[in-house]
Amino acid sequence: MSELTHPLHRFIRPTVPHSTFCPGCGDGIVAQSILRAIDELGMDLDDFVFVSGIGCAAWIPSPLFNADVLHTTHGRPIAFAFGIKAGLPDKKVMVVSGDGDLVAIGGNHLIQNARRNADLTVLCINNGIYGMTGGQAAPTTPMGVRTTTTPYGTFENPFEDISAMVIAAGASFVARWTTAHPRELTRSIKKAIQRKGFSFIEVLSQCPVQFGRKAGLSGAVQMIEDYKKRSLLARDAGKLSPEERKGRIVVGELVEMDKPEMFEEVQKMKARAEGGVS
Amino acid sequence: MQIRIYPERCKGVEECGLCLHVCKKQVFKPSEGLNLRGYRPPEIENEKACTACENCMIFCPDFALVVGGKKGKRGGPA
Amino acid sequence: MNEKRVQSGRYFMMGNVACAEGAIAAGCEFAAGYPITPATEIANTLAERLPKVGGAFFQMEDEVSSIAAVIGASWAGKKAMTATSGPGISLMLENIGFAIGVETPCVIVNVQRGAPSTGMPTIGIQGDMVQAKHGSHGDYQIIALCPSSPQEMFDHTVLAFNYAERYRTPVFVLSDAFVGHMREEVTIPEADRIERVYRKIPPPGTDPLEIKGFLDEDVAPMPIFGQGFKAHVTSSCHDEVGKRNLIDISALDKFIRKLSNKILKHRDEITLVEKDYEGAEVVLVSYGAVARAARAAALRAREEGLPVGTLRLITPWPFPSEEIEKMARTAKQVIVLENNLGQMYPYIKAEAAPFSQVSFLPPRWVGEIHDPEHILTKIREVLR
Repeated sequence: MSELTHPLHRFIRPTVPHSTFCPGCGDGIVAQSILRAIDELGMDLDDFVFVSGIGCAAWIPSPLFNADVLHTTHGRPIAFAFGIKAGLPDKKVMVVSGDGDLVAIGGNHLIQNARRNADLTVLCINNGIYGMTGGQAAPTTPMGVRTTTTPYGTFENPFEDISAMVIAAGASFVARWTTAHPRELTRSIKKAIQRKGFSFIEVLSQCPVQFGRKAGLSGAVQMIEDYKKRSLLARDAGKLSPEERKGRIVVGELVEMDKPEMFEEVQKMKARAEGGVS
Repeated sequence: MQIRIYPERCKGVEECGLCLHVCKKQVFKPSEGLNLRGYRPPEIENEKACTACENCMIFCPDFALVVGGKKGKRGGPA
Repeated sequence: MNEKRVQSGRYFMMGNVACAEGAIAAGCEFAAGYPITPATEIANTLAERLPKVGGAFFQMEDEVSSIAAVIGASWAGKKAMTATSGPGISLMLENIGFAIGVETPCVIVNVQRGAPSTGMPTIGIQGDMVQAKHGSHGDYQIIALCPSSPQEMFDHTVLAFNYAERYRTPVFVLSDAFVGHMREEVTIPEADRIERVYRKIPPPGTDPLEIKGFLDEDVAPMPIFGQGFKAHVTSSCHDEVGKRNLIDISALDKFIRKLSNKILKHRDEITLVEKDYEGAEVVLVSYGAVARAARAAALRAREEGLPVGTLRLITPWPFPSEEIEKMARTAKQVIVLENNLGQMYPYIKAEAAPFSQVSFLPPRWVGEIHDPEHILTKIREVLR
């Protein structure tokens, strides 16, 4: 009897025997969720171009995915992705990067491309810390946490809700899940891939080594259980008071709408230019 | 129900341990020995109890577990 | 109704507009940029003309995303460019380093203006010369061209695209506010008289595991996206197949040297100078707008019987050390003329000083193209 093989191993670059993530890191769960989405859609990795920035989450596609991958400078993957999509309109361009990369240094590119409703899928893997560099405070780190650059505790108000900011900027599809919801995450990724427009998925993902230890959490299992406990489906969140919602993570597909997609508008613009109409 | 573990991909039940935690049927236990990178992979203790829920496969950050035998899965026997 | 890419004919044309026409003639399909004086006319022209020839111009949110989008489009297989001025180059430098590291063809036009900082936007200076070579972090080589006229804004932009594609590198066109904004006769040749180079790519269907897409001194084939090459293109130090290596210094050394040698090995094919110093005792070395003044001064000096010649650097980078040495061996006095406080001067002096007296002459005020009389005064002084 022939041996069982993992259905997603064929998507992993042959020269990469294992991932570089820490034990228990949520990034690995996200990596699987993405590849499972692609597998379930019956698509090939050659239908995609993946773009990532700097940070642990950026190592989800690079070098793991056996596909065209662009691993860029810090904060800028969405800007590079813009150019790739302009040049390869028939490919699905997916950005996978972290909260520090996409929301701090890269915040403006996130906001502007959400506004443009440019046809990109962007996964923001939010672990609440700058993990790669040894655990510094991020704009998503809760107040009071001691990190290497905030040894007396963070004193900044963190982002309460990145997804809300992206919705306000104009993205036409926004979802949030955690690594406690890999199946739901896969479902939303499939949706994002198949639709036109700026599709943003925020994924809360555990960083047991850099964030967990600093926040007094004891490992991946505890952190995932914590996500599960704190998660609240969006449709139920409306029933709770702001007090009851404090500390909860609202998950689900938060926004889905039709609006002009930028690259389609570019095609119309070209038609106007060629037709001599200004 | 078939389960295959890739022990050399695993990062250990002590440091990770997600598979043991998400399995509702206690199919796994820690193995006696360590893999080549010094991690302790899981071992199958009670395969008959497995319901092919696939939690272990889906939650493993290292692609180190596959569960077969479910309806027409792409990952079935090669 | 498609307009033609190559608008052959004779025109009285602004430098910036000629630059955009050169890009279009060279096959540019993607341009991204941000408004900045004195370069905006390039963006305006591209925005109007590119969509008529199947391309598009995108105004991005800033210069950082502009160069990022250009690099992305280049990896998607398109000839791509941006145009800006000094402040924009400063913002772009990190990503320019990235383009160099992963060997991305692209053209970057810098229409230099009064600096530092916001400076004086409508006045030309040659203030960003060293920035083009050393602005990004690390050791690297770059190719840069210095047009002296609107005609050369067209010609050098075409050449810039060809160099970029042939050597898989960003190429700078270092203009300034004067050359960018002046209007002069520009002849655009027939389309079949214009050479157009496209980067080498692996043959379609090549096994991705067989592709060595990086770090070849003779320029590796570029594994562009969307062809099934499964390219791993990383900003990190990497090897010939694009695999990241953050541990072995031998890999870092190779990464640095191979990238540099790719340009240096082909220096002779890249370097362009304009020589007119046969029999000259005094040679005026200059580039860009200042070369117009140098030529005027040399002609006037010869009328007075003074043995003066000129050497114009068309490609200041890679630094044309051989040409400088060759010239210095035949001259007694080398006068370097730049519209700055001496940016190319130290490099020229280092190369020429063993053979010749070398001095530097800025204009009376930085921001002015030298008055030929001012140059003549200096010539008479060194000849005494």
